[in-house]
Amino acid sequence: MALDLSKIVSQVGAMVARLRADSRQRQERLEHALEMLGSQADIGRLRDKINASRTTWLVAGLVGGLDEHYPSPPVTSDFTIIASDGSHIDVDRHRSTRCYLINIGSVTLHYGNNPEAVLYSLPSLYAGDEDLVIAAPEQRGREQPVEGALLGIKRSVDECRHLVELAAALPADSPTLALLDGSLILWNLEAYAEFVAEELLDKGLLKCFEELRKLSRERKLALASYISYPRSTDVVNALRVAVCPEETVDSDRCSACDTRECDAIAGVRDRELFAGLLEPGERSELFISSSKIQQRYGAHQVHFFYLRVDDEIARVEIPKWVADDNGLLSLTHALVLDQCQRGHGYPVALSEAHEKAVVTGADAENFWRLVESSLVEEHLPFTGSAKNRSKRTRWV
Amino acid sequence: MTEPSDRVGEVIEASTTEFVAECYELYGLPPLGSLVSVGDAADKTFGIVYHATTASVEPGRRPIARGKDEVSEEGIYKSSPQLEKLLRSEFSALVVGHGNSEAIHQFLPPKPARIHGFVYLCPSEQVKTFSRSFDFLNLLITTSLPVSVEELVAATLRQMGQAHEDKQAFLKAAGRELATLLSSDYSRLRAILGRIAPE
Repeated sequence: MALDLSKIVSQVGAMVARLRADSRQRQERLEHALEMLGSQADIGRLRDKINASRTTWLVAGLVGGLDEHYPSPPVTSDFTIIASDGSHIDVDRHRSTRCYLINIGSVTLHYGNNPEAVLYSLPSLYAGDEDLVIAAPEQRGREQPVEGALLGIKRSVDECRHLVELAAALPADSPTLALLDGSLILWNLEAYAEFVAEELLDKGLLKCFEELRKLSRERKLALASYISYPRSTDVVNALRVAVCPEETVDSDRCSACDTRECDAIAGVRDRELFAGLLEPGERSELFISSSKIQQRYGAHQVHFFYLRVDDEIARVEIPKWVADDNGLLSLTHALVLDQCQRGHGYPVALSEAHEKAVVTGADAENFWRLVESSLVEEHLPFTGSAKNRSKRTRWV
Repeated sequence: MTEPSDRVGEVIEASTTEFVAECYELYGLPPLGSLVSVGDAADKTFGIVYHATTASVEPGRRPIARGKDEVSEEGIYKSSPQLEKLLRSEFSALVVGHGNSEAIHQFLPPKPARIHGFVYLCPSEQVKTFSRSFDFLNLLITTSLPVSVEELVAATLRQMGQAHEDKQAFLKAAGRELATLLSSDYSRLRAILGRIAPE
């Protein structure tokens, strides 16, 4: 037995006891945060204070107020949802062959008088040098291997590229929502060199966003991503800025602060805040993400709102060109909610795209077996690491 | 001649004694007891549909009730168009013969049907030709199936009867054949005859 649960039981008990002890304090902080959310009289001044602040934590930029909330607009009778999601088999350094696989699941759902569904998956194998590394264009020998977290980012770009293909193939007369899972912000690219961001963001994701924007000029097309059970605290952090007695908030000076006014709302998440504000189907005011990588997004600067779906608060991210267009914003609000209602709390199109994309552990094993048997047929060496063999052939 | 419009599905599992086919259209199932064929004119395998199912494409994903707020059953499919792609109808057919344009043999073929073979619902003319002989009844009544053999034999004869101009004469002839085959098992004979009695 690998994991001895009997040795964990007491640790779980201690964890639960700690949570219970904290719950009263959390409730008090949440109530305080809610009170603050509704009592910001001078939004213009707060907006300026947020814009001038220098913090290591993300603070939501304000578009309008803080506590406005909007009921769901009516759903049009005929509309289309397109969505894509991906899954991958990462490079395995213990295998003889260096390669990775990305499987993209795509879904087109037409609703209305002629309902129809198209569901498919498209697996692609990458084994060429140009696929396995991203090379710096002007610095010979400088390259970044595409694996691990970076492969996840590349997959996000591929998902969006498929979404563009789906959108381009649609008839122009049906209002369409293009949906992605997770965030539109590739914030983890901040950890990589400039040339990597250029390749995956400027020439990758943002290029796809731009193509979708061009398509949206000819038809009613909105782009959004959906984050279920978000952990973000952007709006709560805006309240921290509001409550801070400093004229200009600088998180470097927080350690020297004795009064710690912002502790009164510490630990509260945006989803808890909006659960106390939004009625079912309502969306919050729009906010702007302040992630550093956003500086590259330009016309696609990511805005977001929170949406009450049954018992859950979801975060919906949209590019600026959707946020600035009331028609597209209403379409996004109405159709995301409609998708969640049809999907028992989670957008149907995203859950079907996931089903088409998912690669299980067994699938990955079968894939490697196929690779190895093909190598054997061609009399090519296929021996992987001893560690890998030891994992596959267990003995006592 | 089988027409493309008679094509109901495709073989996804095959053995010497039966084959399983997936329908192209959800609920596009041939009726219980109908005669279907697979293969080309030179080497055709005949089967009788004995069982059918409609279920989720993926074994781990069960359908859930969706119609609480819908007025009609059709409304469920309209508001969830993906259902058509996530459900599938399959049927199983018992092999009862094989042949070509010259002769039909009502005994097992030398090889099972091929996977992905197109399955056609036999048109009336072909059913009439096939049912000139009742040798296939022996294959039916001696088999062991998840459905009652009496039900299947009766359904088969009712289906075949529709292809004959003189349905009563066909059913009487079939009844006589069954009386011979089941001469020592009166209760089974009665169970079948009770199910094909003239309407």
